[in-house]
Amino acid sequence: MTTDMSVAVGGMKLRGPVLAASGTFGYGTEVPLVERRALGAMVSKGIFLRPREGTAPPRIAETPSGMLNAIGLQGPGADALVRDYAPQWAEWDFPVLVNINGESASEYAELTSRLDGVPGVAGFEINISCPNVEQGGMFFGNDPRAAATVTEAVRKRTKLPVWVKLTPMVSDIGVIARAVESAGADALCAINTFVGMSIDLNAYRPRLSFRTGGLSGPAIRPLAVHLAHQAARAVRIPVIGIGGIARAEDALEFLVAGCTAVQVGTATFVNPKAIAEVHDGIASFLEARAFRSLADLPRYLPRD
Amino acid sequence: MLDTPVTGKRQVARGMFVIGMHAPEIASAVRAGQFVNLGWSAGPLLRRPFSVYRAEGEHIEVVLKAVGSGTGQMLAMEVGDRLSCLGPLGRGFEFGGGAREAVLVSGGLGVAPMLLAARDARTAGMKVTWVHGARTAAELCSEMDGDTVIWATDDGSQGMAGSAVAAAPDADVVLACGPNRMLAAAAERWPEAQVAVETYMGCGTGVCLGCAVPLKRGGYDRACKEGPVYRAADIDWAALPSHLPYAVVA
Repeated sequence: MTTDMSVAVGGMKLRGPVLAASGTFGYGTEVPLVERRALGAMVSKGIFLRPREGTAPPRIAETPSGMLNAIGLQGPGADALVRDYAPQWAEWDFPVLVNINGESASEYAELTSRLDGVPGVAGFEINISCPNVEQGGMFFGNDPRAAATVTEAVRKRTKLPVWVKLTPMVSDIGVIARAVESAGADALCAINTFVGMSIDLNAYRPRLSFRTGGLSGPAIRPLAVHLAHQAARAVRIPVIGIGGIARAEDALEFLVAGCTAVQVGTATFVNPKAIAEVHDGIASFLEARAFRSLADLPRYLPRD
Repeated sequence: MLDTPVTGKRQVARGMFVIGMHAPEIASAVRAGQFVNLGWSAGPLLRRPFSVYRAEGEHIEVVLKAVGSGTGQMLAMEVGDRLSCLGPLGRGFEFGGGAREAVLVSGGLGVAPMLLAARDARTAGMKVTWVHGARTAAELCSEMDGDTVIWATDDGSQGMAGSAVAAAPDADVVLACGPNRMLAAAAERWPEAQVAVETYMGCGTGVCLGCAVPLKRGGYDRACKEGPVYRAADIDWAALPSHLPYAVVA
Protein backbone atom coordinates (compact mmCIF):
# COMPACT_ATOMS: atom_id res chain seq x y z
CA MET A 1 0.00 0.00 0.00
CA THR A 2 1.37 3.40 -0.91
CA THR A 3 0.65 6.29 1.35
CA ASP A 4 -1.27 9.11 -0.30
CA MET A 5 1.09 12.07 -0.02
CA SER A 6 -0.86 14.48 -2.20
CA VAL A 7 -1.92 17.85 -0.85
CA ALA A 8 -4.15 20.69 -2.01
CA VAL A 9 -2.39 24.00 -1.53
CA GLY A 10 -3.72 27.37 -2.50
CA GLY A 11 -5.41 26.42 -5.74
CA MET A 12 -3.10 23.55 -6.62
CA LYS A 13 -3.18 19.81 -6.20
CA LEU A 14 0.40 18.67 -5.54
CA ARG A 15 1.71 15.11 -5.63
CA GLY A 16 3.63 15.61 -2.42
CA PRO A 17 4.00 18.10 0.43
CA VAL A 18 7.71 18.85 -0.03
CA LEU A 19 8.55 21.82 -2.20
CA ALA A 20 11.81 23.46 -3.27
CA ALA A 21 12.22 26.88 -1.68
CA SER A 22 13.02 29.92 -3.76
CA GLY A 23 16.70 30.70 -4.15
CA THR A 24 17.85 27.21 -3.23
CA PHE A 25 17.00 25.34 -6.40
CA GLY A 26 17.91 27.91 -9.05
CA TYR A 27 15.49 27.63 -11.94
CA GLY A 28 15.44 23.87 -11.51
CA THR A 29 17.82 23.32 -14.38
CA GLU A 30 20.95 22.65 -12.33
CA VAL A 31 19.54 19.68 -10.45
CA PRO A 32 19.70 16.19 -11.94
CA LEU A 33 16.34 14.68 -12.86
CA VAL A 34 16.65 11.94 -10.28
CA GLU A 35 16.44 14.52 -7.50
CA ARG A 36 13.14 15.89 -8.75
CA ARG A 37 11.00 12.78 -8.47
CA ALA A 38 9.73 13.65 -4.99
CA LEU A 39 9.20 17.33 -5.65
CA GLY A 40 5.66 18.55 -4.95
CA ALA A 41 6.42 21.86 -6.63
CA MET A 42 9.33 24.18 -7.21
CA VAL A 43 9.52 27.87 -6.46
CA SER A 44 11.98 29.60 -8.77
CA LYS A 45 14.78 31.88 -7.72
CA GLY A 46 13.29 35.32 -7.05
CA ILE A 47 12.98 37.48 -10.12
CA PHE A 48 12.45 41.14 -10.89
CA LEU A 49 11.00 42.52 -14.10
CA ARG A 50 14.47 43.63 -15.18
CA PRO A 51 17.87 41.91 -14.81
CA ARG A 52 19.72 42.46 -11.54
CA GLU A 53 23.38 41.97 -10.77
CA GLY A 54 23.00 41.14 -7.10
CA THR A 55 25.28 42.22 -4.26
CA ALA A 56 29.07 42.29 -4.15
CA PRO A 57 30.88 39.36 -2.52
CA PRO A 58 31.24 38.07 0.12
CA ARG A 59 27.60 37.05 -0.14
CA ILE A 60 27.46 34.21 2.36
CA ALA A 61 28.81 33.49 5.80
CA GLU A 62 28.36 30.35 7.82
CA THR A 63 27.04 30.75 11.37
CA PRO A 64 26.28 28.16 14.06
CA SER A 65 23.86 25.66 12.45
CA GLY A 66 22.99 28.20 9.83
CA MET A 67 24.14 30.62 7.19
CA LEU A 68 23.72 34.26 6.33
CA ASN A 69 23.17 35.18 2.72
CA ALA A 70 22.91 38.45 0.87
CA ILE A 71 22.64 37.49 -2.78
CA GLY A 72 20.51 40.53 -3.56
CA LEU A 73 18.13 38.76 -5.92
CA GLN A 74 20.62 38.39 -8.76
CA GLY A 75 18.62 37.35 -11.78
CA PRO A 76 18.17 37.64 -15.53
CA GLY A 77 14.82 39.44 -15.53
CA ALA A 78 11.40 38.40 -16.79
CA ASP A 79 12.18 38.25 -20.51
CA ALA A 80 15.08 35.84 -20.05
CA LEU A 81 13.02 33.74 -17.65
CA VAL A 82 10.23 33.44 -20.21
CA ARG A 83 12.71 32.63 -22.98
CA ASP A 84 15.18 30.33 -21.21
CA TYR A 85 13.39 28.59 -18.36
CA ALA A 86 9.61 28.57 -18.70
CA PRO A 87 9.67 26.37 -21.83
CA GLN A 88 11.57 23.74 -19.84
CA TRP A 89 9.17 24.01 -16.90
CA ALA A 90 6.24 23.39 -19.23
CA GLU A 91 7.63 19.90 -19.86
CA TRP A 92 8.04 18.91 -16.22
CA ASP A 93 5.69 16.75 -14.19
CA PHE A 94 5.44 19.17 -11.25
CA PRO A 95 4.34 22.80 -11.15
CA VAL A 96 6.78 25.70 -11.00
CA LEU A 97 5.81 28.90 -9.24
CA VAL A 98 7.75 32.08 -9.87
CA ASN A 99 8.98 34.06 -6.87
CA ILE A 100 8.19 37.64 -7.91
CA ASN A 101 9.74 40.86 -6.67
CA GLY A 102 9.35 44.57 -7.21
CA GLU A 103 10.26 47.95 -5.82
CA SER A 104 6.63 49.09 -6.00
CA ALA A 105 3.18 47.50 -6.11
CA SER A 106 2.87 48.48 -9.74
CA GLU A 107 6.16 46.77 -10.57
CA TYR A 108 4.89 43.54 -8.98
CA ALA A 109 1.73 43.93 -11.05
CA GLU A 110 3.63 44.53 -14.28
CA LEU A 111 5.81 41.48 -13.66
CA THR A 112 2.72 39.37 -12.98
CA SER A 113 1.12 40.48 -16.25
CA ARG A 114 4.32 39.65 -18.11
CA LEU A 115 4.40 36.10 -16.71
CA ASP A 116 0.68 35.31 -16.50
CA GLY A 117 -0.32 32.84 -19.19
CA VAL A 118 3.26 31.90 -20.09
CA PRO A 119 3.36 28.10 -20.47
CA GLY A 120 5.39 26.64 -17.62
CA VAL A 121 4.44 29.33 -15.09
CA ALA A 122 1.95 27.60 -12.77
CA GLY A 123 1.59 30.29 -10.14
CA PHE A 124 3.23 33.09 -8.18
CA GLU A 125 4.93 33.40 -4.84
CA ILE A 126 4.97 37.08 -3.92
CA ASN A 127 8.21 37.91 -2.17
CA ILE A 128 7.53 40.69 0.32
CA SER A 129 10.18 39.39 2.63
CA CYS A 130 13.62 39.54 1.02
CA PRO A 131 15.99 41.25 3.47
CA ASN A 132 18.72 41.83 0.88
CA VAL A 133 17.42 44.55 -1.39
CA GLU A 134 17.56 48.30 -0.82
CA GLN A 135 14.00 48.90 -1.92
CA GLY A 136 10.89 46.75 -1.76
CA GLY A 137 11.35 43.25 -0.40
CA MET A 138 10.92 43.05 3.33
CA PHE A 139 9.65 46.60 3.59
CA PHE A 140 6.34 45.55 2.04
CA GLY A 141 6.22 42.53 4.30
CA ASN A 142 6.28 44.23 7.66
CA ASP A 143 3.41 46.60 7.06
CA PRO A 144 -0.07 45.05 6.76
CA ARG A 145 -1.37 47.74 4.40
CA ALA A 146 1.66 47.57 2.09
CA ALA A 147 1.51 43.76 2.12
CA ALA A 148 -2.17 43.84 1.19
CA THR A 149 -1.60 46.45 -1.53
CA VAL A 150 1.04 44.32 -3.24
CA THR A 151 -1.06 41.16 -2.90
CA GLU A 152 -4.10 42.91 -4.39
CA ALA A 153 -2.06 44.32 -7.25
CA VAL A 154 -0.85 40.84 -8.19
CA ARG A 155 -4.24 39.21 -7.57
CA LYS A 156 -5.87 41.56 -10.09
CA ARG A 157 -3.45 40.51 -12.83
CA THR A 158 -3.77 36.73 -12.63
CA LYS A 159 -6.14 33.86 -12.03
CA LEU A 160 -3.22 31.52 -11.26
CA PRO A 161 -2.51 30.60 -7.64
CA VAL A 162 -0.98 33.49 -5.66
CA TRP A 163 1.07 32.61 -2.60
CA VAL A 164 2.66 35.23 -0.36
CA LYS A 165 6.00 34.63 1.36
CA LEU A 166 6.08 36.32 4.74
CA THR A 167 8.96 37.80 6.69
CA PRO A 168 9.60 36.78 10.28
CA MET A 169 10.80 40.32 11.06
CA VAL A 170 7.40 41.48 12.38
CA SER A 171 5.88 41.90 15.79
CA ASP A 172 2.73 39.89 14.95
CA ILE A 173 2.78 37.64 11.90
CA GLY A 174 -0.95 37.00 12.33
CA VAL A 175 -1.75 40.61 11.43
CA ILE A 176 0.19 40.40 8.15
CA ALA A 177 -1.21 36.92 7.44
CA ARG A 178 -4.82 38.14 7.79
CA ALA A 179 -4.09 41.23 5.69
CA VAL A 180 -2.81 39.26 2.70
CA GLU A 181 -5.54 36.64 3.09
CA SER A 182 -8.14 39.41 2.83
CA ALA A 183 -6.29 40.81 -0.19
CA GLY A 184 -6.83 37.58 -2.09
CA ALA A 185 -3.83 35.31 -1.40
CA ASP A 186 -4.42 31.60 -1.99
CA ALA A 187 -1.74 30.48 0.46
CA LEU A 188 0.98 31.81 2.75
CA CYS A 189 4.60 30.75 2.88
CA ALA A 190 6.07 31.18 6.34
CA ILE A 191 8.81 32.18 6.68
CA ASN A 192 11.60 33.89 4.78
CA THR A 193 15.00 34.43 6.44
CA PHE A 194 15.69 36.41 9.61
CA VAL A 195 17.92 39.45 9.31
CA GLY A 196 21.29 38.79 10.89
CA MET A 197 24.83 40.11 11.01
CA SER A 198 28.21 38.53 11.62
CA ILE A 199 31.50 40.34 12.18
CA ASP A 200 34.92 39.47 10.76
CA LEU A 201 37.28 40.00 13.69
CA ASN A 202 40.30 40.26 11.41
CA ALA A 203 38.84 43.04 9.31
CA TYR A 204 36.76 44.73 12.07
CA ARG A 205 33.75 44.86 9.78
CA PRO A 206 30.76 42.73 8.78
CA ARG A 207 31.55 39.45 7.04
CA LEU A 208 29.00 40.23 4.31
CA SER A 209 29.53 43.13 1.94
CA PHE A 210 25.82 43.98 2.28
CA ARG A 211 26.44 44.30 6.07
CA THR A 212 23.42 42.16 6.94
CA GLY A 213 22.07 38.95 5.49
CA GLY A 214 19.20 36.51 5.78
CA LEU A 215 19.72 33.76 8.34
CA SER A 216 18.60 30.29 7.28
CA GLY A 217 19.28 26.70 8.25
CA PRO A 218 18.53 24.55 11.29
CA ALA A 219 19.36 27.49 13.58
CA ILE A 220 16.02 29.13 12.77
CA ARG A 221 13.80 26.03 12.80
CA PRO A 222 12.08 26.42 16.20
CA LEU A 223 11.47 30.12 15.45
CA ALA A 224 10.04 29.17 12.07
CA VAL A 225 7.79 26.42 13.44
CA HIS A 226 6.34 28.92 15.89
CA LEU A 227 5.77 31.63 13.28
CA ALA A 228 4.27 29.23 10.73
CA HIS A 229 1.98 27.94 13.48
CA GLN A 230 0.98 31.50 14.43
CA ALA A 231 0.23 32.27 10.78
CA ALA A 232 -1.77 29.06 10.38
CA ARG A 233 -3.84 29.91 13.45
CA ALA A 234 -4.63 33.33 12.06
CA VAL A 235 -5.99 32.40 8.62
CA ARG A 236 -8.17 29.88 6.78
CA ILE A 237 -5.96 29.60 3.71
CA PRO A 238 -3.16 26.99 3.69
CA VAL A 239 0.25 27.80 5.15
CA ILE A 240 3.43 26.36 3.69
CA GLY A 241 6.08 25.98 6.38
CA ILE A 242 9.68 27.01 5.72
CA GLY A 243 12.71 27.27 7.95
CA GLY A 244 15.62 24.94 8.60
CA ILE A 245 14.00 21.74 7.34
CA ALA A 246 16.64 19.11 6.63
CA ARG A 247 14.97 15.84 7.65
CA ALA A 248 11.48 14.33 7.57
CA GLU A 249 11.02 14.92 11.29
CA ASP A 250 11.64 18.64 10.78
CA ALA A 251 8.99 18.77 8.05
CA LEU A 252 6.55 16.80 10.18
CA GLU A 253 6.90 19.38 12.96
CA PHE A 254 5.64 22.06 10.58
CA LEU A 255 2.85 19.81 9.28
CA VAL A 256 1.62 18.90 12.76
CA ALA A 257 1.88 22.59 13.72
CA GLY A 258 -0.74 23.39 11.10
CA CYS A 259 1.09 23.68 7.78
CA THR A 260 -0.32 22.04 4.66
CA ALA A 261 3.04 21.65 2.93
CA VAL A 262 6.67 22.61 3.46
CA GLN A 263 9.56 24.06 1.52
CA VAL A 264 13.10 22.77 1.86
CA GLY A 265 15.80 25.36 1.25
CA THR A 266 19.28 25.55 2.73
CA ALA A 267 19.38 21.77 3.25
CA THR A 268 19.53 21.34 -0.53
CA PHE A 269 22.85 23.22 -0.57
CA VAL A 270 24.34 20.60 1.71
CA ASN A 271 22.51 17.55 0.42
CA PRO A 272 21.20 17.65 -3.16
CA LYS A 273 18.92 14.72 -2.25
CA ALA A 274 17.40 16.47 0.78
CA ILE A 275 13.95 16.97 -0.77
CA ALA A 276 13.67 13.32 -1.83
CA GLU A 277 14.85 12.15 1.60
CA VAL A 278 12.38 14.40 3.43
CA HIS A 279 9.55 13.21 1.18
CA ASP A 280 10.41 9.54 1.64
CA GLY A 281 10.87 10.00 5.38
CA ILE A 282 7.41 11.52 5.76
CA ALA A 283 5.93 8.59 3.84
CA SER A 284 7.76 6.10 6.09
CA PHE A 285 6.58 7.94 9.19
CA LEU A 286 2.96 7.79 8.05
CA GLU A 287 3.23 4.17 7.03
CA ALA A 288 4.85 3.13 10.30
CA ARG A 289 1.93 4.68 12.14
CA ALA A 290 -0.66 3.17 9.77
CA PHE A 291 -1.89 6.50 8.38
CA ARG A 292 -3.20 5.89 4.87
CA SER A 293 -2.71 9.46 3.78
CA LEU A 294 -0.96 12.64 4.84
CA ALA A 295 -4.40 14.12 5.44
CA ASP A 296 -4.78 11.71 8.38
CA LEU A 297 -1.79 13.18 10.21
CA PRO A 298 -3.01 14.71 13.50
CA ARG A 299 -2.63 18.48 13.65
CA TYR A 300 -2.15 20.81 16.57
CA LEU A 301 -3.98 23.93 15.49
CA PRO A 302 -6.12 25.70 18.05
CA ARG A 303 -7.81 28.64 16.33
CA ASP A 304 -7.22 32.21 17.51
CA MET B 1 27.16 12.25 -3.86
CA LEU B 2 29.46 9.66 -2.43
CA ASP B 3 29.84 8.38 1.12
CA THR B 4 33.50 7.50 1.29
CA PRO B 5 36.14 6.50 3.86
CA VAL B 6 39.27 8.51 4.55
CA THR B 7 42.10 6.31 3.30
CA GLY B 8 45.16 8.26 4.32
CA LYS B 9 46.64 11.44 5.72
CA ARG B 10 50.14 12.89 5.47
CA GLN B 11 51.92 16.17 6.07
CA VAL B 12 53.41 18.03 3.10
CA ALA B 13 54.44 21.32 4.73
CA ARG B 14 54.21 23.04 8.10
CA GLY B 15 50.50 23.04 8.87
CA MET B 16 49.60 21.60 5.46
CA PHE B 17 48.16 18.10 5.11
CA VAL B 18 46.89 15.80 2.38
CA ILE B 19 43.81 13.67 3.00
CA GLY B 20 42.98 10.77 0.70
CA MET B 21 39.63 9.13 0.07
CA HIS B 22 38.19 6.32 -2.00
CA ALA B 23 36.28 7.89 -4.90
CA PRO B 24 36.64 5.83 -8.10
CA GLU B 25 34.19 7.77 -10.31
CA ILE B 26 35.71 11.11 -9.33
CA ALA B 27 39.27 9.84 -9.70
CA SER B 28 38.67 8.78 -13.29
CA ALA B 29 36.65 11.85 -14.31
CA VAL B 30 38.37 14.77 -12.57
CA ARG B 31 40.28 17.40 -14.51
CA ALA B 32 42.89 19.73 -13.09
CA GLY B 33 41.25 22.73 -11.41
CA GLN B 34 37.99 20.97 -10.60
CA PHE B 35 36.96 20.56 -6.99
CA VAL B 36 35.01 18.38 -4.61
CA ASN B 37 32.64 19.64 -1.91
CA LEU B 38 33.15 17.70 1.31
CA GLY B 39 30.85 17.24 4.28
CA TRP B 40 30.82 14.95 7.29
CA SER B 41 28.44 14.10 10.09
CA ALA B 42 28.73 16.42 13.09
CA GLY B 43 30.61 18.79 10.78
CA PRO B 44 29.67 22.38 10.01
CA LEU B 45 26.41 23.05 8.18
CA LEU B 46 27.93 23.81 4.81
CA ARG B 47 30.27 21.57 2.86
CA ARG B 48 33.85 22.71 2.30
CA PRO B 49 35.21 22.95 -1.24
CA PHE B 50 38.67 21.58 -2.10
CA SER B 51 40.55 21.38 -5.37
CA VAL B 52 41.39 17.79 -6.19
CA TYR B 53 45.12 17.50 -5.48
CA ARG B 54 45.82 14.03 -6.79
CA ALA B 55 43.81 11.35 -8.52
CA GLU B 56 45.24 7.86 -8.85
CA GLY B 57 43.46 4.60 -9.45
CA GLU B 58 40.35 4.66 -7.29
CA HIS B 59 41.55 7.38 -4.93
CA ILE B 60 41.57 11.15 -4.80
CA GLU B 61 43.37 13.49 -2.44
CA VAL B 62 42.78 17.03 -1.23
CA VAL B 63 45.22 19.34 0.51
CA LEU B 64 44.30 21.59 3.41
CA LYS B 65 45.39 23.70 6.33
CA ALA B 66 43.47 24.14 9.56
CA VAL B 67 42.09 27.62 8.89
CA GLY B 68 38.82 27.25 10.77
CA SER B 69 36.82 24.82 12.85
CA GLY B 70 35.68 22.89 9.77
CA THR B 71 39.14 22.19 8.40
CA GLY B 72 40.28 21.57 11.99
CA GLN B 73 37.71 18.79 12.28
CA MET B 74 38.84 17.32 8.97
CA LEU B 75 42.44 17.20 10.12
CA ALA B 76 41.36 15.35 13.26
CA MET B 77 39.86 12.55 11.15
CA GLU B 78 41.34 9.07 11.18
CA VAL B 79 41.62 6.53 8.40
CA GLY B 80 38.18 4.93 8.03
CA ASP B 81 36.21 8.01 9.11
CA ARG B 82 33.50 8.87 6.59
CA LEU B 83 33.29 11.85 4.26
CA SER B 84 30.41 12.81 1.99
CA CYS B 85 31.96 13.81 -1.30
CA LEU B 86 30.23 15.74 -4.08
CA GLY B 87 32.05 16.12 -7.37
CA PRO B 88 33.93 16.64 -9.52
CA LEU B 89 32.53 20.18 -9.69
CA GLY B 90 33.35 23.31 -11.66
CA ARG B 91 35.33 23.98 -14.78
CA GLY B 92 39.04 23.21 -14.71
CA PHE B 93 42.10 24.35 -16.65
CA GLU B 94 42.19 24.09 -20.46
CA PHE B 95 45.19 22.54 -22.15
CA GLY B 96 44.33 22.95 -25.83
CA GLY B 97 46.13 25.20 -28.27
CA GLY B 98 49.28 23.20 -28.86
CA ALA B 99 51.62 25.26 -26.66
CA ARG B 100 54.99 23.63 -25.89
CA GLU B 101 55.51 24.86 -22.37
CA ALA B 102 53.29 25.55 -19.37
CA VAL B 103 54.28 27.60 -16.34
CA LEU B 104 52.43 26.66 -13.16
CA VAL B 105 52.47 29.34 -10.45
CA SER B 106 51.28 28.40 -6.98
CA GLY B 107 51.28 30.26 -3.68
CA GLY B 108 50.80 28.36 -0.41
CA LEU B 109 47.72 26.17 -0.64
CA GLY B 110 47.56 27.17 -4.30
CA VAL B 111 49.48 23.94 -4.91
CA ALA B 112 46.09 22.24 -4.65
CA PRO B 113 45.21 21.94 -8.37
CA MET B 114 48.78 21.93 -9.67
CA LEU B 115 49.75 18.28 -9.40
CA LEU B 116 46.87 17.43 -11.71
CA ALA B 117 47.69 20.45 -13.86
CA ALA B 118 51.26 19.16 -14.29
CA ARG B 119 49.86 15.76 -15.25
CA ASP B 120 47.34 17.16 -17.75
CA ALA B 121 49.88 19.61 -19.24
CA ARG B 122 52.29 16.75 -19.91
CA THR B 123 49.50 14.69 -21.43
CA ALA B 124 48.89 17.63 -23.76
CA GLY B 125 52.56 17.50 -24.76
CA MET B 126 53.85 20.44 -22.74
CA LYS B 127 57.00 20.85 -20.73
CA VAL B 128 56.15 21.92 -17.18
CA THR B 129 57.85 24.63 -15.15
CA TRP B 130 56.39 24.85 -11.67
CA VAL B 131 57.02 27.92 -9.53
CA HIS B 132 55.91 27.51 -5.95
CA GLY B 133 55.98 30.19 -3.27
CA ALA B 134 55.24 30.42 0.44
CA ARG B 135 56.10 32.68 3.34
CA THR B 136 58.99 30.50 4.58
CA ALA B 137 60.84 27.34 3.53
CA ALA B 138 58.93 25.28 6.10
CA GLU B 139 55.64 26.23 4.47
CA LEU B 140 56.64 25.15 0.96
CA CYS B 141 54.84 22.02 -0.19
CA SER B 142 57.30 19.11 -0.32
CA GLU B 143 55.55 17.37 -3.24
CA MET B 144 56.34 19.06 -6.53
CA ASP B 145 56.25 17.68 -10.03
CA GLY B 146 57.78 19.72 -12.83
CA ASP B 147 60.48 19.40 -15.47
CA THR B 148 61.77 22.53 -13.81
CA VAL B 149 60.88 23.52 -10.25
CA ILE B 150 61.50 27.05 -8.95
CA TRP B 151 61.01 27.96 -5.30
CA ALA B 152 60.22 31.38 -3.88
CA THR B 153 59.85 32.46 -0.27
CA ASP B 154 58.84 35.81 1.20
CA ASP B 155 61.75 35.66 3.66
CA GLY B 156 64.29 34.23 1.22
CA SER B 157 64.77 31.08 3.35
CA GLN B 158 64.56 28.89 0.22
CA GLY B 159 64.82 29.67 -3.47
CA MET B 160 64.25 33.19 -4.71
CA ALA B 161 63.27 35.90 -2.25
CA GLY B 162 59.87 37.31 -3.16
CA SER B 163 56.65 36.11 -4.66
CA ALA B 164 56.06 33.14 -6.95
CA VAL B 165 54.72 35.52 -9.59
CA ALA B 166 57.95 37.52 -9.58
CA ALA B 167 60.03 34.34 -9.70
CA ALA B 168 58.22 32.84 -12.68
CA PRO B 169 59.43 32.94 -16.29
CA ASP B 170 57.07 33.89 -19.11
CA ALA B 171 55.30 31.27 -21.22
CA ASP B 172 52.40 30.92 -23.61
CA VAL B 173 50.42 28.96 -21.07
CA VAL B 174 50.40 30.22 -17.47
CA LEU B 175 48.25 28.59 -14.81
CA ALA B 176 48.05 30.20 -11.37
CA CYS B 177 46.46 29.42 -8.05
CA GLY B 178 46.91 31.01 -4.64
CA PRO B 179 45.62 33.89 -2.55
CA ASN B 180 43.52 36.31 -4.61
CA ARG B 181 46.11 39.06 -4.05
CA MET B 182 48.71 36.89 -5.73
CA LEU B 183 46.34 36.11 -8.58
CA ALA B 184 45.66 39.82 -9.08
CA ALA B 185 49.43 40.30 -9.50
CA ALA B 186 49.52 37.37 -11.93
CA ALA B 187 46.68 38.98 -13.90
CA GLU B 188 48.71 42.20 -14.27
CA ARG B 189 51.63 40.30 -15.70
CA TRP B 190 49.78 37.65 -17.74
CA PRO B 191 46.26 38.80 -18.70
CA GLU B 192 45.77 35.53 -20.58
CA ALA B 193 46.74 33.33 -17.63
CA GLN B 194 44.23 30.80 -16.35
CA VAL B 195 43.67 31.40 -12.65
CA ALA B 196 41.77 29.31 -10.10
CA VAL B 197 40.13 31.77 -7.68
CA GLU B 198 39.04 31.36 -4.09
CA THR B 199 35.55 32.34 -2.97
CA TYR B 200 33.14 31.50 -0.25
CA MET B 201 30.88 28.77 -1.49
CA GLY B 202 27.43 27.65 -0.41
CA CYS B 203 26.20 24.74 -2.49
CA GLY B 204 28.95 24.13 -5.06
CA THR B 205 26.28 23.09 -7.56
CA GLY B 206 25.21 26.42 -9.05
CA VAL B 207 21.97 27.14 -7.23
CA CYS B 208 22.80 29.44 -4.31
CA LEU B 209 24.75 32.17 -6.17
CA GLY B 210 26.90 32.61 -3.07
CA CYS B 211 30.27 32.20 -4.82
CA ALA B 212 29.92 35.35 -6.94
CA VAL B 213 32.97 36.32 -8.98
CA PRO B 214 32.93 39.95 -10.17
CA LEU B 215 33.63 40.25 -13.89
CA LYS B 216 35.32 43.05 -15.85
CA ARG B 217 32.39 43.20 -18.25
CA GLY B 218 30.07 43.77 -15.27
CA GLY B 219 27.96 41.48 -13.18
CA TYR B 220 28.91 38.26 -11.47
CA ASP B 221 29.05 34.62 -12.24
CA ARG B 222 29.53 31.52 -10.18
CA ALA B 223 32.94 30.15 -9.17
CA CYS B 224 31.33 26.72 -8.76
CA LYS B 225 29.92 26.53 -12.31
CA GLU B 226 31.62 28.95 -14.71
CA GLY B 227 34.78 28.78 -12.55
CA PRO B 228 36.76 28.31 -10.43
CA VAL B 229 39.20 28.70 -13.34
CA TYR B 230 39.00 32.02 -15.20
CA ARG B 231 40.95 33.94 -17.79
CA ALA B 232 42.81 36.39 -15.55
CA ALA B 233 41.79 39.46 -17.57
CA ASP B 234 38.08 38.63 -17.20
CA ILE B 235 37.98 39.18 -13.43
CA ASP B 236 37.36 42.52 -11.75
CA TRP B 237 40.15 42.02 -9.22
CA ALA B 238 39.39 45.17 -7.23
CA ALA B 239 35.92 43.82 -6.46
CA LEU B 240 37.03 40.28 -5.53
CA PRO B 241 37.64 39.90 -1.78
CA SER B 242 41.37 39.49 -1.38
CA HIS B 243 41.49 37.22 1.62
CA LEU B 244 39.10 34.56 2.83
CA PRO B 245 39.35 32.31 5.88
CA TYR B 246 38.42 29.30 3.79
CA ALA B 247 37.91 28.86 0.10
CA VAL B 248 38.34 26.56 -2.84
CA VAL B 249 42.05 26.41 -2.41
CA ALA B 250 42.95 28.17 0.82
